[in-house]
Amino acid sequence: MGNIRTGLKNASRRKFLQQLALWGGGSVLAGGAIASALHYEHKKKGVPHIKEIAEHTHQLKVNKEALSELQRRGREGIPGKRWIWVIDLAKCKNAQRCMSACQQAHHLRPEQSHMNVLVMQASEHTPAYYMPKPCQHCDNPPCVSVCPVDATFKRQDGVVLIDNQRCIGCRFCIAACPYNARMFNWIEPLYAKEDANMEYNVELNLPQRKGTITKCLMSADRLREGKLPYCVSACPNGVYWFGDENEDVVTNGTTHETMRLSELLEKNGAYQLMPELGTKPRVYYLPPKGRSVPVKEEDKEKAIEYVHHFES
Amino acid sequence: MRIIERKRVILFSTLLLFAIAGRAEEWQVPADKEKRTSPYLFDEQMRKKGEDIFKRSCASCHGMPGQGNNIRSLVPIPPDLAEKKVQQQSDGAIFYKITVGRGAMPSFKNSLTEQERWQVVAFLRSFNKDYVQPPLARLVDSAKLRSVKVIPTFDTVQHKVVVLIKAFQKTDTLPLSEAEVSLFVQRYFGNLPIDSVRTTSQNGLVTFNFPTNLPGDSVGNVQLIVKVNHEMFGELEKTYTAKLGVPTIKPPLTEKNAMWNVGKKAPRWLIISYLLVVGTIWFFLIRIILSIRKIKQTGKNPKL
Repeated sequence: MGNIRTGLKNASRRKFLQQLALWGGGSVLAGGAIASALHYEHKKKGVPHIKEIAEHTHQLKVNKEALSELQRRGREGIPGKRWIWVIDLAKCKNAQRCMSACQQAHHLRPEQSHMNVLVMQASEHTPAYYMPKPCQHCDNPPCVSVCPVDATFKRQDGVVLIDNQRCIGCRFCIAACPYNARMFNWIEPLYAKEDANMEYNVELNLPQRKGTITKCLMSADRLREGKLPYCVSACPNGVYWFGDENEDVVTNGTTHETMRLSELLEKNGAYQLMPELGTKPRVYYLPPKGRSVPVKEEDKEKAIEYVHHFES
Repeated sequence: MRIIERKRVILFSTLLLFAIAGRAEEWQVPADKEKRTSPYLFDEQMRKKGEDIFKRSCASCHGMPGQGNNIRSLVPIPPDLAEKKVQQQSDGAIFYKITVGRGAMPSFKNSLTEQERWQVVAFLRSFNKDYVQPPLARLVDSAKLRSVKVIPTFDTVQHKVVVLIKAFQKTDTLPLSEAEVSLFVQRYFGNLPIDSVRTTSQNGLVTFNFPTNLPGDSVGNVQLIVKVNHEMFGELEKTYTAKLGVPTIKPPLTEKNAMWNVGKKAPRWLIISYLLVVGTIWFFLIRIILSIRKIKQTGKNPKL
């Protein structure tokens, strides 16, 4: 009897010690994991998204504080503003100055441009016209919804930007964008060597990086300085109106004429591209009515070819 | 027969084209504007600045003067500005055309200052060997300009702006008539003109109708600019703040919970359903572990 009792007693003590070790070890492990996670989160918050890039032979030393500042303010945007863009198709003569200004500003290859002047034609007996098409900077951007790493984002002033230091090159956003506004740097960017030492500016997306997305930035760096976007000021034909929706005013990039946004949209029967998708674009178009310059014959042929292609 | 007919058609259309082109060239410049001369001497510095502006704002259609690279597909054809037709015109006429524009040619009234427009004229004149600059227009006496007083009154109920202009005339500061007054609202990229340009009456007054629906800041304040231009007294500009706008506070566009927003601002249904799914899984995991424990304990109990 006594033997049994001691046996039982021993057994319960062993069990108790076993359980103690299990629980104690478990809680130490769990506590450690939580502590290190908190530590990591804290560190991440203090100096956001920084990488020191060692490239080939030279170590790139980046000014940590300045870089984080550029990325921080690039993410926040300009308070109290809601940028709005109006493109007057009646004025476009396919001068393509917007495209070259854009390429120059963002160090793009000749075949790349955040702004494209397209030749459009709806059906066989409707006229062809030129249509400049930038990113629509949607208020409900599908590209941002699908980004798995928070590399592309929308700011409080409406601009949709890309942070190529975070981009992993998955190209989900290209697939998601109904306006075909994004492109991928498949090969080394044009000025890869020259720009290597440049501090990354998210509002200019410079330096461009191979294996990441590049897109229209609404010239966010210029907006900060109170200047109109590169493409808008480069246009010789008065196609672009740009302004702040909160002020209800837009300014023409060519003539610098300023007028009421609501009036301009109302009087000219403005429309948006594919509003049925619910993307809520920040770009408005004025119909190509009363054009002074006809579409070139070769462009007309190109347009009708597409019409036939889609009709067949 | 057909060939002749075709030739006729060609001849006719050529004549028609000439007629259209000829009509397009008649660009009447008011006599007083035509007589205007530059108040600045056309020196090398002026020419150089003019060249920069020209390259930026004019060359895309007109091409560089004397090189014949103007865009001929446009109607009317923007002339090469070194041409005789252009150079025969007075400085005042060229200045006027740059200022107001016509048809496809934009007005540079708002994008270039008067001095910049004269710089462009200076650049264009450098392509004319025979050009001799006429006597300079005199710049306005600064003492006279300083005597000009602008006294605005803002009627926030009727949405009217009344501006009284006074200036020192002969012996005393008196209301100034015949002064051109324009009103603007300051905006981020440029100034919005309000109403039209008005000329002061005998009692030196002008009245502007202010729109009732123009957004102001959070309390409805707008920054106003009054520009005054008088032949004798020159140009001046004053800035004021008035409560003439509609109070506007628009939240940032990233305020709403949405799919595309940051993690914290994800849609509520998404947060709730996510937490529900995670919670349910944990609930069942814990239940399974507890059940296993119960089975084990039950198995050990010799009584059962």
